[in-house]
Amino acid sequence: MTGRDRIVIVVLAALAVVAAAWLLMLAPEREKASKVGAEVSTAQAQLTTAESEVNAARSAEAGYPAAYTSLVSLGKAVPTGQEVPSLILQLEQASNRKQVEFSSITSGGGTGSSSSAVAAVAAAGFTQMPFTFVFSGGFFDLYKLFQQVNRFTLRTSSGSVEVSGRLLTIQGVQLTPEASSSSGTPSGQLTGTITATAYVLPASQGVTGGATATSPTGAQTTSSSASSSPATPAVIGAAR
Amino acid sequence: MRAFNLIPADERSGASIGAGKSGGSAFVVLGLLGVLAIFALLYGQASRQISSQTAKIATLNTQAQAAQAQAAKLAPYVSFKTLHEQRVQAVDQLVDSRFDWAHAFHELGRVLPLEVALTSLSGTIGSGSGSTSAGADTAAGASKAASAATGATTVAAGSSSAATASSTSVASATPPGSVPTFTLSGCATSQAAVALTLERLRLIDGVSAVTLQSSTKTPGASSGGSGGVCKGPVFAMQITFDPLPTASATSSSSTPSTESASAVTPTTGSPTTAAGGAR
Repeated sequence: MTGRDRIVIVVLAALAVVAAAWLLMLAPEREKASKVGAEVSTAQAQLTTAESEVNAARSAEAGYPAAYTSLVSLGKAVPTGQEVPSLILQLEQASNRKQVEFSSITSGGGTGSSSSAVAAVAAAGFTQMPFTFVFSGGFFDLYKLFQQVNRFTLRTSSGSVEVSGRLLTIQGVQLTPEASSSSGTPSGQLTGTITATAYVLPASQGVTGGATATSPTGAQTTSSSASSSPATPAVIGAAR
Repeated sequence: MRAFNLIPADERSGASIGAGKSGGSAFVVLGLLGVLAIFALLYGQASRQISSQTAKIATLNTQAQAAQAQAAKLAPYVSFKTLHEQRVQAVDQLVDSRFDWAHAFHELGRVLPLEVALTSLSGTIGSGSGSTSAGADTAAGASKAASAATGATTVAAGSSSAATASSTSVASATPPGSVPTFTLSGCATSQAAVALTLERLRLIDGVSAVTLQSSTKTPGASSGGSGGVCKGPVFAMQITFDPLPTASATSSSSTPSTESASAVTPTTGSPTTAAGGAR
């Protein structure tokens, strides 16, 4: 064996040792380090997500009183029950203020309607309640009454919805002149027949979803035992 | 004289400088040791990194669990907020989908000529050409709103009570795209007054078409509808309004229809024309 052969053998052996050290020790460790680095990134992302959830939850908690008040207010526009008495009172108050006589109310959309007052719409979140109202008054007074009915639930200039009564959607209006009973000549009064729809929340939903003024349902607070939703007042400020 | 090589025999024949007796193997071994030292350094760094990162993971996981527990504790508030937003959106949608009847009547009173008296006025909101009844409108409106993806309000499951709300949509009785129509019948002093009425009715805000159904002048005096005598032609005409705007259009609109109605103060003279027309 010459000296050159010895050198080649030594170099090859050295290379083998280096390769073995890389493959058996260093590479797995580096791979593991990289894997742990990825796990750190994942854990960091999870923490960020959880912290953002906490922030959102705290924000929701801070805004709870306002949201509760707003939801109760919306319950005036769309109550849980039919609340026909309060609807009648609201219309009576509105018509009295506009010098209009509130003659009649018929549930179910008037002529040809079904016996049920509630027309359940299969795909609807709110249940529709069709009504037919009959008013008597001058054209100008009826026009003001329409304005008043619209203002029960009104979008303000700021974009928010202001609720002071039941949300009604008028679908049809018929105005006909009233004949004077004695002479048969027109009395100047009109009979306004209005076909309108009120809305009711689904039976599965309460006005506030079971929340109380202090905490929502399921919140771990001292008042969590109170889970019944407050009843919507039967009579509310219909015409402020 | 013969030359004599003074170099030692083992250092002759081109042997490399510094190779020494090992023939350079010592340098290879030294290089190997150097590389292995670098490897050891890298290994140590990697091990240290692993241990520190593992500790960091444990810390992060602990913090994340604490945050998740806090978020879970406050979850009912988030659910309630979601319920509130959905309810507001649903009511918004219904408010925006209403036709402004008051404004339409105000406009009618504003444009109706003095030479015309109305005997009846019927307004309906239909899904098509405007001849459907209100009862049919309800069903048509419901299906139309259900199919309108833009107008639908999706309710996600929230708290235990809100979870029962499931996925629902709000169907307005006057869904977007519905066409309000007024059918007028009355008496005019002349056919020219009928023509003038047709022209004037086109001035109403939001009217898309005004069509005459009939205008008939009978030789003798005919009934005005409620005891009154009509000496001129008896007419019937239909006013078709623009379709109700979609949810996206109403949300982008800065001036709501109800506000525009309330902003307009009706004149005292014109509405009396319509009222007087019905006399």
